[in-house]
Amino acid sequence: MRDPVLSIRGLHVRLSRDGQASTVLDGIDLDMAPGEVVALVGESGSGKSTIGLAIQGLLPAESQPDISGSIRLAESEVVGAKPDALRQIRRTLVRGVPQDPMGALNPTMTIGRQMAETGLTSVEVLDWLTRVGLPDPERIARDMPHRLSGGQRQRVLIAMSMAAKPRLLIADEPTTALDVTVQAQILALLTDLAREQETAILFITHDLAVAAELSDRVMVLFGGRVAELGDTRKVVASPAHPYSAGLLSARFDLDTDRNRQLTSLSIDRDRRRPEGAHCNYQARCPLASSTCRLQRPDLKETATGSRAACFHSDRVPELLLSARTAPEWPEPIASDADALELYRIRKSFPAGRSTLFGKKRHTQVLAGVDLRIRLGECVALVGESGSGKSTLLRIAAGLTQADEGDVSWFGGVPPQVVFQDAVAALTPWLTIGEQIRDRLRPLGLNRSEQDKRIAEALNLVGIDPALAEALPSELSGGQCQRVTVARAVVVPPRLLLCDEPISAMDVSLAAQTLNLLGTLRRQLGMGMLFVTHDLAAARLIADRIAVLEKGQLVEIGEPDQIISAPQAPYTKTLVSAVPRLHAQEARL
Amino acid sequence: MASYLLKRLAGLALVLLVMSFIVFCLQSIIPADPARSLAGPSAPQETVDQLRQDMGLNDPLLVQYGSFVSRLTQGDLGTSIRTRQPIAEDVLRYGPATLELIIAAMLMGTALAFILAFAQATLQRSGGVRVGMLALGSVPIFLTALLLAYFLWFRLGWFPGSGRLDIRRFSGPTGFFVLDGLLLGRPEVSLSALRHLFLPALALSVPIAVSVGRSLSSALVDVMRQPYIRTASGKGLGAGYIFLRHGLRNAASAPLAMLGLQVGLLFGNLLIVERVFAWPGLGLYTVQSFATSDLPAVLGVALVFGAFYILVTMLVEIAQSLADPRIAL
Repeated sequence: MRDPVLSIRGLHVRLSRDGQASTVLDGIDLDMAPGEVVALVGESGSGKSTIGLAIQGLLPAESQPDISGSIRLAESEVVGAKPDALRQIRRTLVRGVPQDPMGALNPTMTIGRQMAETGLTSVEVLDWLTRVGLPDPERIARDMPHRLSGGQRQRVLIAMSMAAKPRLLIADEPTTALDVTVQAQILALLTDLAREQETAILFITHDLAVAAELSDRVMVLFGGRVAELGDTRKVVASPAHPYSAGLLSARFDLDTDRNRQLTSLSIDRDRRRPEGAHCNYQARCPLASSTCRLQRPDLKETATGSRAACFHSDRVPELLLSARTAPEWPEPIASDADALELYRIRKSFPAGRSTLFGKKRHTQVLAGVDLRIRLGECVALVGESGSGKSTLLRIAAGLTQADEGDVSWFGGVPPQVVFQDAVAALTPWLTIGEQIRDRLRPLGLNRSEQDKRIAEALNLVGIDPALAEALPSELSGGQCQRVTVARAVVVPPRLLLCDEPISAMDVSLAAQTLNLLGTLRRQLGMGMLFVTHDLAAARLIADRIAVLEKGQLVEIGEPDQIISAPQAPYTKTLVSAVPRLHAQEARL
Repeated sequence: MASYLLKRLAGLALVLLVMSFIVFCLQSIIPADPARSLAGPSAPQETVDQLRQDMGLNDPLLVQYGSFVSRLTQGDLGTSIRTRQPIAEDVLRYGPATLELIIAAMLMGTALAFILAFAQATLQRSGGVRVGMLALGSVPIFLTALLLAYFLWFRLGWFPGSGRLDIRRFSGPTGFFVLDGLLLGRPEVSLSALRHLFLPALALSVPIAVSVGRSLSSALVDVMRQPYIRTASGKGLGAGYIFLRHGLRNAASAPLAMLGLQVGLLFGNLLIVERVFAWPGLGLYTVQSFATSDLPAVLGVALVFGAFYILVTMLVEIAQSLADPRIAL
């Protein structure tokens, strides 16, 4: 390897949260060559973002970072660097592209100013805005960030970073907050620019398929330790660590078998990070033996050519085989009755500022939508942001009044809703048991009967009923989402509305949630409206897919029919935007 | 912007109308007879009756209110029972002194708020600043005023403790003596006016400093955790620059709103502070009007303060929209 641009040796990081210090990174080694693209893959809490921040020396001071080991960027040491030296490093050697472009630009400073802050001339600013494909760069340079879309902001942030011609770019999930249709463009832009300037990219993601599309090498991180490191193609084709294998099999795309449930990794994780001499993954590992509990596996060469930290690498292939036989969906309780009927729904919202005489312009969000969902049936509603899908869900839930049209529910009973942000959908100061109990109160059950129903509901969603006494803050985000499902089904509703319930989840969690929702609606005979921008998830969960564009249903039908022969242009874009792991393999 | 101003001015007129109605009702229900108090206790009943007729006090209430409003629109706030002057003239005479005091107090309060907020931001882990702010915030204004007067004027003699000037019989074109001294080329007048301003303005500025300072420091703590601050440090910018250019402006909105609110509370404090420091302004005028049951004067001043408060709120909103372009007026 040429002189590495990044060289990490024995990196240990401890961070404090609420006064409790815990090890977040536990002995990381990594070398990156100039211009190389390395994907850093792991679930939330694996420490992948911490690596990115540590390289830039940006770990937040309030978490009192305790760092040991070495991070060398070109010739400069980051660990223990003085503020001035660190500033110089950030100016010239390493830049970052953040996960959420919406918050990453100063809302009260023009784009041009923010770009010029590190010494770009105004000509260079305009040149860079053009290079990242922004229309009308003069106008954008004068604009404030809030007038730009998420994709445009991410382009600005990429321009800002690449203009410094850094040796290393750290891209922390740069597309998760963006619309699917823009994601591919942003990734292409990033890799093209990096190739031109020979900038190495450390690409942080939870999605192995995205990693497979753009990286040379991949580092799989689990619990603050490296699980596997190697050539991306090799790791994707034949993983040598049970966790990489699990990530691969839990992943779903447009080729996944939709007659079966998804293979899911065990996701119950101890929020405290286990430290010491054992394999971090052993509690969740199907191959775990007594050795794994007593010894820490070192990274070592495996038969496939990658390096994995596992005593049982040779048995990983059999794990992959068994994963292909996930259980089929249960037999649905179906019926011809409508769980939901939407009839010619129209809705407009006031837009822009009102004039002096109080007259407001209106934007039409929904322009006459008809939709029926039968009991036991699931319809997935897809569409880009601004297409009106959330508004339609709110109208179907009775939370928003339609301007015109009718909403009718089976038996006139309002539906239950599962929201995207499960943590925000739970009251922070009530135990989860109490929050579920609220739905049982009208039934006139006595306390012990209520407790029994709560325990049953929690069991149904795979949560230990003992956690009924826990507050939402004591649970993980995934557990909170399952609690909101438990709350919705404790009194089985005839209709369940889900608003992007998996969009903030990593693969293993998303797979489990899809399994849970898909099973429950069949067992309980609920109609379900599943709003998402992820076509792969829509195909797996739903019996029909409805495509919403500019407030109108442009397409509705069987998932595989829609995906193999998309009619509307927007549907075509959506289909091509889904990263496909197996198509990728075939191409390699 | 223009339509915002128009809308706000229309709102101002509406609020003033409502206030004038309340003031009018208060005037009508008090048992005192304006004609009697104007004519004097020894005037014969016929004179008083004639006066009542002339003043329109025998008209139906609605007609009286109509003429009250029409007088208001011509700037006529009625006549003070105590000074026997039109209240509008009194307001013009004593207003500048109070306005000068308010401006000084707001400037000092804002400066102190910055100092407190920075002290809290830099000494975050020590509870000293918090306790200090709590202590300052919990001292009632009459005590602050008296303590300042006692120590800095009476015991130490560092600052004068009463009136606006050492120089007798000064009058200037604007009534703001600091400004008048400069305009007339008499800097000693400005200096004396500033020294006299110091103690009452300081007393008034303490509650402003504590509340605005607290709001500023919590806004700063929040803003400095935002992702764009991380973007800025990721660009290799210096910490001081980031704080000033990226932090402060984004933290401005809440403290500005608090400042506007404090100006509203300032009016009550003015009565006390002007009384303690014998400051010849509207506060003292109101206190004296109270003492002589001069209700028309008190209500006239209330009307003026109300209008002023609405103007301040409007200025705060304009300032907020200047600080944050996402707030459209």
